[in-house]
Amino acid sequence: MSSETSTAADPAAGREPEPAQGIGASLASAESRAKTEGTFPYAADLWAEGLLWAAVLRSPHAHARIVSIDTSHALDMPGVRAVITHEDVPGEALHGRRTPDRPVFASDVVRHHGEAIAAVAADHPDTARMAAAAVIVEYEVLEPVTDPEKAFEAEPLHPDGNLIRHIPLRHGDPAAAGELVVEGLYRIGRQDPAPIGAEAGLAVPRPDGGVELYIASTDPHADRDRAAACYGIPPERVKVVVTGVPGATADREDASFQLPLGLLALRTGCPVKVTATREESFLGHAHRHPTLLRYRHHADAEGRLVKVEAQILLDAGAYADTSSEALAAAVSFACGPYVVPNAFIEGWAVRTNNPPSGHVRGEGAMQVCAAYEAQMDKIAKKLGIDPAELRLRNAMATGDILPTGQTVTCPAPVAELLAAVRDSPLPDLPKDTPEDEWLLPGGPEGAGEPAAVRRGVGYGLGMVQLLGAEGTDEVSTATVKVHDGAATVICAAVETGQGFTTLARQIVQETLGIDDVRVAPVDTDQPPAGPSCRGRHTWVSGGAVERAAKMVRTQLLQPLAHKFGMSTELLQINDGKITSYDGVLSTTVTEALEGKELWATAQCRPHPTEPLDESGQGDAFVGMAFCAIRAVVDVDIEMGSVRVVELSVAQDVGRILNPAQLKTRIEAGVTQGVGVALTENLRTPRGIVRHPDLTGYALPTALDTPDIRIVKLVEERDVVAPFGAKAASAVPVVTSPAAIASAVRAATGRPVNRLPIRPQAAVAQ
Amino acid sequence: MKLPATLDEAVAALTAMPAAVPVAGGTDLMASVNSGQLRPAALVGLGRISEIRGWQYQDGHALLGAGLTHARMGRPDFAALIPALAAAARAAGPPQIRNAGTLGGNIASAAPTGDALPVLAALEAVLIIAGPGGGRREIPVSHLLAGMEMLRPGELIGFVRVPLLHAPQVFLKATGRTGPGRATASVALVLDPARRGVRCAVGAIAPMPLRPLEAEEWVASLIDWDGGRGSLVPEAVTAFGEYVASACIPDQPPAADGAEQPLSPAVLHLRRTVAALARRALGRALS
Repeated sequence: MSSETSTAADPAAGREPEPAQGIGASLASAESRAKTEGTFPYAADLWAEGLLWAAVLRSPHAHARIVSIDTSHALDMPGVRAVITHEDVPGEALHGRRTPDRPVFASDVVRHHGEAIAAVAADHPDTARMAAAAVIVEYEVLEPVTDPEKAFEAEPLHPDGNLIRHIPLRHGDPAAAGELVVEGLYRIGRQDPAPIGAEAGLAVPRPDGGVELYIASTDPHADRDRAAACYGIPPERVKVVVTGVPGATADREDASFQLPLGLLALRTGCPVKVTATREESFLGHAHRHPTLLRYRHHADAEGRLVKVEAQILLDAGAYADTSSEALAAAVSFACGPYVVPNAFIEGWAVRTNNPPSGHVRGEGAMQVCAAYEAQMDKIAKKLGIDPAELRLRNAMATGDILPTGQTVTCPAPVAELLAAVRDSPLPDLPKDTPEDEWLLPGGPEGAGEPAAVRRGVGYGLGMVQLLGAEGTDEVSTATVKVHDGAATVICAAVETGQGFTTLARQIVQETLGIDDVRVAPVDTDQPPAGPSCRGRHTWVSGGAVERAAKMVRTQLLQPLAHKFGMSTELLQINDGKITSYDGVLSTTVTEALEGKELWATAQCRPHPTEPLDESGQGDAFVGMAFCAIRAVVDVDIEMGSVRVVELSVAQDVGRILNPAQLKTRIEAGVTQGVGVALTENLRTPRGIVRHPDLTGYALPTALDTPDIRIVKLVEERDVVAPFGAKAASAVPVVTSPAAIASAVRAATGRPVNRLPIRPQAAVAQ
Repeated sequence: MKLPATLDEAVAALTAMPAAVPVAGGTDLMASVNSGQLRPAALVGLGRISEIRGWQYQDGHALLGAGLTHARMGRPDFAALIPALAAAARAAGPPQIRNAGTLGGNIASAAPTGDALPVLAALEAVLIIAGPGGGRREIPVSHLLAGMEMLRPGELIGFVRVPLLHAPQVFLKATGRTGPGRATASVALVLDPARRGVRCAVGAIAPMPLRPLEAEEWVASLIDWDGGRGSLVPEAVTAFGEYVASACIPDQPPAADGAEQPLSPAVLHLRRTVAALARRALGRALS
């Protein structure tokens, strides 16, 4: 790599040297060593005296009526302690993340492959599985509705009907027309979050008739409330203790075993443990919404967008989950970070007998990004304009208006990001010599033939919202305690790999000047902090931690300030020492504490939002983040195999809190997007999940992952965000599939209107 | 779990315990165990049988031990002997799989995507089966894969006899990704100058490797075996690819009313892929 590119690849170049502690330091995670060495205890490693093992019986059919359930054979098996079905749910029979529409156990109808029907507790995991298999369920198999387009006309699959949400967004003049019209039909496949650590949990009954759930929850308080409602006991008698979360890019919500686990513990009076197999993991958790998109863009002769018309259909699967939020994001960001004066977007989320879809980061925004960027490529091709130039002409900036009527008030450096990736040097073309290591499409031992390889360059511009939208009460509470020269943060924000605990330590280090900061494990005895998704904890929980730390700081400095007759603002804390602005006064934090414990608790509640109205208008979002990616791909145009050579990323991050962590978050997001673009698609013919394993479901490996160059990180602080920082994980996931598709389009001349890109769509014709 | 030290001990252990399952690398077997599809009553481990972990020479043939790992077969010394098998072994998966998975296991699993299988089919390899009482019998690999002959209870694949052809051999594999993955189609092609033959097998598109015999004969008749083999015109190489592909993925027979039944786009793409693989394989073998 030349010196020029290495400077460009290092976003920290030209900045001040990194501090060792506090904001801006590349502090390592406190858990990274244990996780790397394999000693970190995850939920699957838990054990309790006298524990039983649970197994869940799941539906083999996508749609069937349950005629009868016979548990007697299972109960008679030696070692089996309890078998429970829908009849054994003492509390609410239905639950759900937003809408309670999902039964704990199916009673009369199963609506998707893998739906829970019964659960067993036994003294050995094999006995439990065999007993679950011995529950005799008589089904009357029904025709599954698997095509979301047919869901509108089909018989209702659920008492709530098949339409979960419809947003008809209308913005501007419907009669507006451009000189140029391009149309397209796009399909996005079903990505699975595929956490490497499969779901697991332990439930321990309490003497007071309650239960403790040790699970890798990403939203402990919501999981507690749902469990309590299901068990028919008050929430204070259910405690959710968050075990280490082995990485979550989605909700690690699999209520189909979390809820039965507690029921079995309450029924048997024994601790009950469950570990999901890989197959159960694929069947249990929510997937990304498969989406069908129809677009019509109107542009003038210079390529400026005049009007966008779109129809967006999300396949929500059998239950609503968070589909209405995904739909709001899809409709609101359907035009992308471009200035569009007139927009008419219809969005639907419908029920089918496919596996349920839910929160996977970048939901809604990712699917539309792939479609609107394909449309931008079509306009550029028709007008003969460079694709990057066309995008620049339409780029959104602060002060522009979204199709929802909301003004973009946060920094929106879209043109700057795009120019940065466009102007960064392209990777060298490989030389076809034996000495030159050229990784061809198809891999190192593949069939690649240099003469058949074409290179393509494409662009993607993406945007996401950062917090819950449409009036969600985004609030987090954090406590900071200082004692004995060390600080402890107590906040129920779950570390899912997004790096929140490290950021919390840095925030306290920065505010209090104390290096030794610990973050307490999370349970529901702490005040709620909300779900871990969209990187919202950087904003809300980071803000709460900062406020609490500042309150502790005031408590610590107030007596000293009073004694010396100066404001606390004139005192500084550094390396455990307190000094006045003029250096006259100097003492240590330990002395100032005098053995006292200082506690402070604070909340952060961002600016409220409002729901989208009946024409899709409203200030529904608080913060937004933007990203530009340039993809360079090599395509074997005879075989249709694609290798992504390089992805150059420029991202709007607000402020860099931890450079090393930020870089890994962006790389991880981009890589997840590579999976969406090329390989990840959970196939469900007739509603039945095929190949629920990591051989059949191809996650990107190191060889599939390109060089990821972060060419620019724009630090323009968002004044309403704590520290001005924006969460960084989701927007690269949204953008990289669109950029890769754009590059394959450039290499092959094919339309590439389906993700993941199938080889037959990347063969030149 | 038994860990015999010789092939005959292993056969004896299997005969004594008919419910036992032999395990070598375990890359397929343990996946079935972990997913709950298989719960063997007992295992006979083949990992300590040193006689099947190497190879020896025998009348112009190599006698390959069934316990040879993919990693071992991928090394340069082995590649100098049987280049196509070495290439298949290197393509057989990520390093963890290649370190454990064995040649015999690949044959015994007989998965359609087994990478060694088209190479063994093209080489017309013969399996040497160890049976009870020190018995040995031979089965052509294609007979076992086609189910014409089966392993009897207590029998184990001991060795694989492969001819040493001293001529170019190619194995090419198409996968859906750049990283290691299962083949969507693969082609093994070997030249046999002594018998003036070209032998080709197509893997992963059918339950067993397919041999396009007519295409082999046709192209062998075009090659100038005594002069430079590279003199074949590019059109002939392309035609060979098409020939192989249409032999392995034939057109649909016309419907009852005589109407043509076109192949689905996915099948057409597979046929195009096989044609490209076969063309590239022949091109590389002759260059």
